[in-house]
Amino acid sequence: MKLLKIKQSIQRKIVFIAIFFSLVSFQLSADNIQMKKNINDITKIYMSSMTYIFKSQSIINQKNVDKSSLFGDAFIENIKQTYSVKYNEDFPKADHLAKKMLLQVMVEVMDDNKELIHDNEIGFKGVIPATYASQLSAKLATKGIGLTIKFTRTEKGIRNILNKPDAWESAVMEKMKTTPDIYYDENALLNGKAAIRQFTPLPMAPLCLGCHGVPGQNPLNVGKDKSQWTTIDITGFEMENWTIDDFGGGVSISIEKSVLQ
Amino acid sequence: MQSFMLSHNSVIKSVFLFVCCFAYSVYSFETNAQVIRVGLIDYPPHINFDEDLSKSPLYQYINTTLLPLGFTLKYVKLPRERASIELFKGRVDVLMPIPLENETMKTLSLPIFHSVPGLCFKKENFIPILSAIHRLDNLTIGVPASSKIVAGLTASKANLLQIKGENATNRGLEMTQRGWLDAFYHPSPIKVYHRKNPAYKELACSYFHGFATPVYIGISPKLPEKTFNLINATYQKAITKQSYEYYFASRE
Repeated sequence: MKLLKIKQSIQRKIVFIAIFFSLVSFQLSADNIQMKKNINDITKIYMSSMTYIFKSQSIINQKNVDKSSLFGDAFIENIKQTYSVKYNEDFPKADHLAKKMLLQVMVEVMDDNKELIHDNEIGFKGVIPATYASQLSAKLATKGIGLTIKFTRTEKGIRNILNKPDAWESAVMEKMKTTPDIYYDENALLNGKAAIRQFTPLPMAPLCLGCHGVPGQNPLNVGKDKSQWTTIDITGFEMENWTIDDFGGGVSISIEKSVLQ
Repeated sequence: MQSFMLSHNSVIKSVFLFVCCFAYSVYSFETNAQVIRVGLIDYPPHINFDEDLSKSPLYQYINTTLLPLGFTLKYVKLPRERASIELFKGRVDVLMPIPLENETMKTLSLPIFHSVPGLCFKKENFIPILSAIHRLDNLTIGVPASSKIVAGLTASKANLLQIKGENATNRGLEMTQRGWLDAFYHPSPIKVYHRKNPAYKELACSYFHGFATPVYIGISPKLPEKTFNLINATYQKAITKQSYEYYFASRE
């Protein structure tokens, strides 16, 4: 009789422990899914904003046109529309500090360029997807919220040294040569702190080749005799002669776990 | 009965007198305790001495943040050179904005905004992207002697010409405008490159993004710790709710 009671008690404890662990692992898995969703949302919002900057080149560089769509709430509205078209889904809710902060920083970056964009005596303003992305990264870094975003590429093809890949990014890009898929690492470190990192490869697009392709794709050479072509692109850099099949780099996003939680 | 009435009246008079004295002493104590002297430094477009102060966005933000604390805020416009001395001596309690490039000072815990250095060119020679440092090769670029120069510029093959003296920034800009320099290094070009500035219409500036310097709100060492803590906590709350940088960027 006593033995039976002990057996029943042990059974009850085992059941309790099993339920406890399944609940904990269920919660962890739910957290993990949420973290992945947040980091994916951030990547897509970031890429949509770069697409919108590309589409807005004529407004940015033209003289005496209405440029209000590039600033404040109107700018965010346009990014939302670009997102919906690009990904065929609704724009995510700004339900996390990192997403909210990203949208605010986008407005701040465009405001930093406001005087230049409105300067009718300057033709090419230099506000292109790559420089916009770089400004966004630099601005986010000043916020101290544990979110970093970088538009990067293998070290050999980097134009701005501030976008140089770190060891994690270099290792991931090495893997990408064989498997060009989104790489997600939930146990990474960033500046010595536990972080979640994601690298999303970007396929080379025709829009990239106007600067990074061959001189024949350089808009500055349009209508000119081949002997007069320049190998310097509109931003002042030597063109790299990349083709549509080359690796286009990618978006590297890191969020400290303390921020996500 | 009459003596009761007399004593009743005198009690009322005494109570009234006591209440008046108490109210006056509380009022005068509160009034003295709540005056916060805020020193302002000309830093367009955040604080612009050339226009009505109420139009300066940094004034608006700080005024809105601190007013609910019940302080009487008195604003004093100060020249940059004298401002720090006034703060250290306690003649102003708060001083803004202060880029902490060359000095140490007690400040509120978070920066109010960040200044980004850059280069100002004559518009016809404008270089928009400064990470293309090879484009600076062989240019003569004026640099204020007191300024810390960013790595992006020191790594270039430009000829850097130091400009000395108190008015180095204005002289450097003048020299660029006259074509005596190819460009001028400015620690914060936003101060000069804006539509409200009539002085440098022929110049345009681009930025060394990624080399920002935090700009703070300085606090006098003589301000009582309790008042500092109250201001600091309120300021932190306001920044978390809506940062000044976002407030500035999203204004009409």
